[in-house]
Order: sequence, then structure tokens, then C-alpha cells
Amino acid sequence: MDSLLFLIISDIVVYIGIYLIVVIALNLEYGCTGIPNIGLSFSVASGALTVGYLMGRIAMSMYSIDSSLDFVSDNSYVCSLINAEFRSYPLNAILLSLVTMLIAIIFSVFISLVAAYPAIRLRADYLMMTLIAMAEAIRIVGNAYTPIAGGTLGVQVPDIFSFFGSFRYMGATVIILVTCIAVFVIAEKITRSPFGRLLRAVRENEVSVESVGKSVNRIRIKVLALGSAIAALAGVLYSFYFCAVVAQAYNRTDWSFWPWLIMMVGGTGNNRGAALGTIIVIIARRMIIFSKYYFTGLLPFDVIWLEPILLGVSLILIMAFKPQGILPEKP
Amino acid sequence: MDIVVIISAIVYASILSLLSTGFTLVYLTAKIPNFAHGSFATIGIYISFTAVYVLGVNPYLFAPVAFILTGTTALLIYLSVLGLLRKRGASLISQMISLLAVEMIISAVLNIYLDYIQFTEGIYSRSLLLRYIDFNCLGLPGILIVSTTVALTLILSIHLMLTRTKFGISMRATVEDSSLAAILGVNINLVTSISWFLTGGLAGLAGSLMPMWFQGDPQIGYRILVSVFAASVLGGLSSIYGAILGGYIIGLTEILGTAFLSDVIGTWVTSYRLLIPLLVMCFTLLLMPRGVVGIIESLRMRRYKLSR
Repeated sequence: MDSLLFLIISDIVVYIGIYLIVVIALNLEYGCTGIPNIGLSFSVASGALTVGYLMGRIAMSMYSIDSSLDFVSDNSYVCSLINAEFRSYPLNAILLSLVTMLIAIIFSVFISLVAAYPAIRLRADYLMMTLIAMAEAIRIVGNAYTPIAGGTLGVQVPDIFSFFGSFRYMGATVIILVTCIAVFVIAEKITRSPFGRLLRAVRENEVSVESVGKSVNRIRIKVLALGSAIAALAGVLYSFYFCAVVAQAYNRTDWSFWPWLIMMVGGTGNNRGAALGTIIVIIARRMIIFSKYYFTGLLPFDVIWLEPILLGVSLILIMAFKPQGILPEKP
Repeated sequence: MDIVVIISAIVYASILSLLSTGFTLVYLTAKIPNFAHGSFATIGIYISFTAVYVLGVNPYLFAPVAFILTGTTALLIYLSVLGLLRKRGASLISQMISLLAVEMIISAVLNIYLDYIQFTEGIYSRSLLLRYIDFNCLGLPGILIVSTTVALTLILSIHLMLTRTKFGISMRATVEDSSLAAILGVNINLVTSISWFLTGGLAGLAGSLMPMWFQGDPQIGYRILVSVFAASVLGGLSSIYGAILGGYIIGLTEILGTAFLSDVIGTWVTSYRLLIPLLVMCFTLLLMPRGVVGIIESLRMRRYKLSR
């Protein structure tokens, strides 16, 4: 198999898988329930940072690695020790990754609820301001406080997919894809269940939901918890795949605005639209990123600045001319 | 406490109150939070940069130009982006998202401009400090006097405009009830357009003063946005005076609080400066969602009831 072509394809598949999970979370929150969560990067970052903080340290105590070594300052040496252990005992690696994933999700749900609690009962604009501010705050804390995940330099995390040996990237891609499909099926089940109808009722008319005795605030809190759990899962998988956590990578452009654009392209309020939108936008975006190096040097500025312009303009145009997306929600 | 810290606090608070006044003005008339507000300040910062390094002018003399240029930018954004979305019947949330998109576009365009300047003129511009240009007055830096005077003058003139002129009264009418104001012959579109121009202008002016004391960089607009939110929410998002008060409270707490904490706990606290306005905002939302103005109003109401 042509290895470059294979790498490009697996890169695209991984990005589609991870972004689809984020977009499903966003779609549950905004598309179904009408909570404009523009700070979704908060949940993704909290999931990833938990992995960066926890996984290496648990593994260190599990394999009783010399406690004079610090996980952050002796990062690559500790990781190489852990990886060697992981290769010989793959079952431990799988177990550890599942435990870390669970803790990351629980922590992310908790911290998202704390962050959104002041504004959840207020109007959408207050909620948006709070969420934007919180997403900025977690990035600042992750950047400044080195023990969490190495600050601006980031940390390496142990490679849980190392037992695949030379098929590491293929195995990791398949696992991410399978997780993503599972999340899709669960989300589809939720949106078609009575609870899903309740969510759409909250979106359409809060007063009528209150009038039949359902608490809008409680539903919102539930959905926010669910959404941040799913988004945290994406953050966890992303850091597992790249074996690294850098707080700076979880910025608003990549993890709040791109998912928003994807959701708008595919169509809000339906998961198939989310899947279609993810496939289209991610393929386009990765292709642009791959081909961007051909333009470097031709222009008197860095080509990376064209990406936010493209993203912003397409977001505005879609919201103006095709607000229902490619696959509109069916009643 | 060091005199430099106190100067920083006062300058920052004046700049922040200009920013939160503009933010609240647009929130009141157009009913949406302007998420692109920080990038208007960044435009102001780099207008000062252009004035000094490309044109060789004193940034203080260039401040009115910054006001007009940024105001025009804001007006154009209102007329083009928001105008298009409103005409197509987009929801309020779509309009807010579009402002975030605008913020992204503006900062990218600024970065392209800075790259271009760096490429052609060889001037590094990503961290900008113009403190050395500033004049000195009675041993104090000029920016201290200029920023407080500008903030107080503009705030006073906005107060006079709102209470003494016909346009100000129609603006207040729009804030109270825009459809009723429209029935009474107020041109709502004009009022909103002018408030966008003013908000952009105030932000640009604030931004153009900023590099005279603080380090400026292309990302600062987004960082300061959190403080602007906090100041406006503390002010209650319901009156200009609340925004001014909130701006001064947040500005002073942010700088003095960080300086105090770094004396007590250690200098590492300074990296977490942004968390102070954030915490103030959260507690405001939890305890008094209507802000300082809401508390003052309810006190006044109570006194009114007691006197009867």
C-alpha cells in the first residue's frame, strides 16, 4: 500500500471521526435543545487535559516507576518506560485508557456544569458570554499551570495503541471510527426517544414545556452534561491518537467554530446532517491544509491567516443563504 | 503599593470603561452582544502602530483618526453582515455567531497586514509597546492624564447627548421600546447605525491609547473581551452609567487585585489575571444578574416605598 496515501486517508478518517463526535455533541446542545454552546472547546480541552494530567501519572504508580522522576519534566523518558510496559501488557494499556477516559468524562461534565451554572437560567446571550469566557479561561489555566499538561510546551502521553505494533495508525484509526459510530448510534437513539422530543420542545417553546410540568432548566443542565461528556470523549480520543496534550491546541477556532460551521453546513437538529457536514467540511479542510504548503512563499504573508477568513466568510454566507443546511431537519 | 501599579490600574480602568460603554451601547440599541468588540480595540492598537512606525506621527494626534476609522469599520460591518442576516431573517443566535466570525476575519486581516508590514518594511509588530514615545507631565506619564481625560470627556459628552439632544432622546426611546419609538417617527435604523459607529469609535480610541502603557499584540482583543463582558455584566447591561462604573470597578480590581495577590502569594499569580474578571462575572450572574444598576434601583425603590 502506498504509505503516503494511506497516511493521508487515515488522517482524514481520524479527523472525521473526532470532529463528528464534537459536532454530535454540539448538535444535541444547539440543534436539538437550542443552547448556543459557543464554548465547546471548553469540554474538549477539559477531557484532553485530564488525559494529560492523569494517564501518565497513574501508569507511573501502576508500574512503580522511580518516584524521583517527574511526569512533566522527565516527560519523554517516563513515556518511553511506560510504552515499553504497555507493549508487553496490552490489556493493562486498554484498561488504563478506559479508566482515564471515564474519569476525564466525569470530570469534564462536572467542570462544565460548574462553568455554565451561573448562566444556565439566564438568556442565551448571557450564556454565550459565560461560555466564551470559560473556554478562554481553561486555555489560560492549561497554558500557565505546567503540572497539568506541561503548559505551553505540552506533554507526551503514553501510547495506548502501541500494542498494534507496525499497524499502530491503522488500529487507532479503526478504534476511533468504531467509537464515533457508537456515539452516532447512541445520539440517534436519544434524538428519536421521548427525551429527544422533549429537547426539541424546549427549543421550540419553553413556556409550553414549563406548562406541562417539565423544568426547562433541569433539561438544559442534563443536555449540557451529555454534550460535554461527548465532547470530552473527542478530546480524549484526540490526545490518545496523537499521544500528546498541548493546552494551546484547544483553541476556539479549531474546537468551537469549526464544529459550528460543520453543524451549519450539514443541517442543525439532525445527526445525519452532522455526519454529512463533517465528511464534506473535514475533507475540504484537510485538503486545503495539505495543499497550503505549495502557496507558502508566493504571498507576502503567512497563509495560515487565510483559514480563519475562509471559515468566517463561509459561516456568515451559510447562515444567511442556507440556514437549514444540506439535510434539513425533518419534522 | 508601587506607583507603576496604580498608574496601570487607572489607565486600564479608563480604557476598559470606554470599551464597556461601547459594548453596552450596542447591546441596548441592537439587542445583541458585540462579540467583535475586542477586535475593534485591536484595530485601534494597530492604527497607533501604523501612525508611529509607518507614518511617523504621534499616536495621540492620530487618536481621532483611529476613532473615525474603527467607527466606520463597525458601521460597515453592521450594514453588510448584520444587514444581510437580518434581511434574510436569520435568528438572533445566528447574528451573534456572525459577529464571532467577524472577529475572526478582522484578526486574520490584521495579521495579514502585520505580516505584510514585516515583509516589506522589516518592522516586527507582534508585541508592541510605545511607552517610550509618551510625554511626561509633572513626573507622571502622559497616558495617565490623557486616558482619564478622554474617558471622562467622552462619557460626559455621551451623557449630554443622551439627555440634552433630540437624537439622544430618540436613542433612549429606541432602547426602551423600539417598535413604539418607530411608531413615533424615530428612525431606528439610523439610531442603531450611529450606535454601531460610536461603539466602534470608542473601542478604536481605547485601543489606540492602549499601547502607550500596555503591551499590545494581535490576540489582545480577544483576551480583553472577557474583561469587557465582566464589566458590562457587572454594570447590568441596562445603562451606560452602569457600564462606566463596571469598567472602572473591573479595571481597578483586575490590576490592583493581581498586584496584591502576587505580593501575598507569589508572582506566578500574574498569569491568571484573566480569572479575576471571570470570577467577578460569575458571582454577578449568580447573586445579582441585573448588576450594580439593578441593586441601586432596588435600593431607590425601597426608599421610595418607605417614604410613602
